[in-house]
Amino acid sequence: MIRQLVVNNVLHRPIRTVVSILAVGVEVALVILIVGLTSGLLQETAKRIEGIGADIMLQPPSASVFLAFSGAPMPIKIADKLREMKYVQAVAPVLLQFSSSNGVDIVYGIDPKSFRDVSSGFVFLEGHDMQGPDDVLMDDWEAKAKHIAVNDTFRMLDHDFHVAGIVEHGKGARLFVPLATLQDLSGSREKASVFFMKCTNTEYTQAVMDEMRPVFPGYEIRPLKDFLSLMTATNLPGLNAFIKSMIVLAVSVGFLVILLSMYTTVIERTRDIGVLKSLGASKAYIIRGLLGESALICLIGIGVGIAMSYVTRAAFQSSFPTLSILITPEWIVRSALIALAGGLLGASYPAWLASRKDAIEALSYD
Amino acid sequence: MTITTTIRPPADALLTTRDPIVEPIVVTEDLWKLYHAGKVEVPALRGINFKVMPGEFVSVMGPSGCGKSSLLYVLGGLARASRGRVLVNGNDLTAMGDAERTKLRRDKIGFVFQRFNLLPTLDARGNIAIAQHIHGHGFDAKRFEAITQMLGLTGRLKHRPSEMSGGEQQRVAIARAIINDPKIILADEPTGNLDTQNSEIVLSMLSKLNKDLGQTIVMITHNPEAAAYSSRVVHMRDGVIVDAAPAS
Ligand SMILES: Nc1ncnc2c1ncn2[C@@H]1O[C@H](COP(=O)(O)OP(=O)(O)OP(=O)(O)O)[C@@H](O)[C@H]1O
Ligand SMILES: [Mg+2]
Repeated sequence: MIRQLVVNNVLHRPIRTVVSILAVGVEVALVILIVGLTSGLLQETAKRIEGIGADIMLQPPSASVFLAFSGAPMPIKIADKLREMKYVQAVAPVLLQFSSSNGVDIVYGIDPKSFRDVSSGFVFLEGHDMQGPDDVLMDDWEAKAKHIAVNDTFRMLDHDFHVAGIVEHGKGARLFVPLATLQDLSGSREKASVFFMKCTNTEYTQAVMDEMRPVFPGYEIRPLKDFLSLMTATNLPGLNAFIKSMIVLAVSVGFLVILLSMYTTVIERTRDIGVLKSLGASKAYIIRGLLGESALICLIGIGVGIAMSYVTRAAFQSSFPTLSILITPEWIVRSALIALAGGLLGASYPAWLASRKDAIEALSYD
Repeated sequence: MTITTTIRPPADALLTTRDPIVEPIVVTEDLWKLYHAGKVEVPALRGINFKVMPGEFVSVMGPSGCGKSSLLYVLGGLARASRGRVLVNGNDLTAMGDAERTKLRRDKIGFVFQRFNLLPTLDARGNIAIAQHIHGHGFDAKRFEAITQMLGLTGRLKHRPSEMSGGEQQRVAIARAIINDPKIILADEPTGNLDTQNSEIVLSMLSKLNKDLGQTIVMITHNPEAAAYSSRVVHMRDGVIVDAAPAS
């Protein structure tokens, strides 16, 4: 019977109910998409870094695996020091730059020879390797997304580049320019953001890392075998904090809308609450009824939100094919639980107010 | 000052079949009720001594503002007495907390209001069944059927309050009040919003409940014709019970 009361009450004010459902839906979709986007980006970055084929990656202290946020670059001389180490076959210094012309891209400044030594080279689909200082290599996805062909001019970092070749995707970044050019453009001469290292045999990875640690105290030294599986959003403190604060924001929206909606519901139904009290309904009964209403709204909103996430992802991916948004069952469940908890919390204050209402005043309310 | 009118024995034999020592269902002793309107204290009840025996149908009459509703609310445990004692079915309401009074109301009291007070989003069936749900013993189909039939509601059960006449709504409210077999029905001007014809239907139903089922009823009314359906009339004035209707 209370189920019927809950359902009928929810249906009683369709607009208010729809608005609340949409708010919860937006909340759920935001959580799913934010986590999906960050872990998608991360997975993709990780996959591409793994795809380089290096054994070890050296970054300055507290650098992020999101290579664009890599902190202060290191002196390029470090490469020589690394090359001297036992079991080290090749070292490729790379300077990273964030380019925000035509969307957001990470550009690798590379020295073609050392990069080839570490990564066993690009697969060229069109064109050829960099030759001049203004040459840029682009991967096939990027070229497709930006409708660019070999020999086109490509403007980025306030500089006109010449598209020398289109390469198969999966080697660290989507855009590659000569190291010296990027050093000039970004004002970091003789600097590199990351060193990719190849050992004479993969088995020596651990030995090389052990040798590196005392020489580079505090530096981020990561093995790239199984890199992909290690890199999850929650494994990275900075990213984790970002995701958490975005979730808090999203949940606040749901919380506040439910709070307001249930608050107006309680005022509107003051008399009904008085009637329930006259029938001997306990405070718990009244609270249960109102929480039931908000739970129902949340559950429908969660369904809507999940649908919204998939629709948004489809829309995004049709206009930004290089963007990967990872929607996982785990986060669908989490976002649902978070939304439900937020909704119930939002409803609990109005429900508590309702349960404390004076029965006689409530009965004489117009 | 406070004189209880003579108790006319109920017409049926219910009293005699019960315990030979019949305890009153309601007793009030020097009952006071003060409202606080800002800093001003408004005395609504000023020393009520009142008794209702099982099976009685008592009318309470008196001018507007004399405290009739306040008395009913205190008897039903909706309001707390300011002073004095209130016993319902042997339970001292003045010694009870909020939760206990709620429980007593649930188990022993059935309210009927002037404004019907049905839940607008439930149909007639839902409005009656929710009282059973609150009571916690689940849906008793047999009792539900018997009561809705007796009150002539069988054809109306799927209608919401907005789709029913005042008389029908009040009959639903009566069904809701008696569905859990309360010890006493407290009705606050149940015919106040009804036309003559519907008033008569509602009053004869209350009377039938009283006569056939021995249902104890306390009913507030302004209308002497309504009071005539009861077995005893109590007059109130300025928060106390007086011996007769004031000459006016
Ligand atoms: N919540 C309240 N706060 C302050 N005063 C109140 C409150 N409720 C009732 N009163 C006052 O208490 C007195 C008795 O009110 P009550 O409603 O019991 O009278 P009544 O006999 O039922 O009147 P009516 O026939 O108009 O329904 C009145 O003077 C009224 O103004
Ligand atoms: Mg009144």
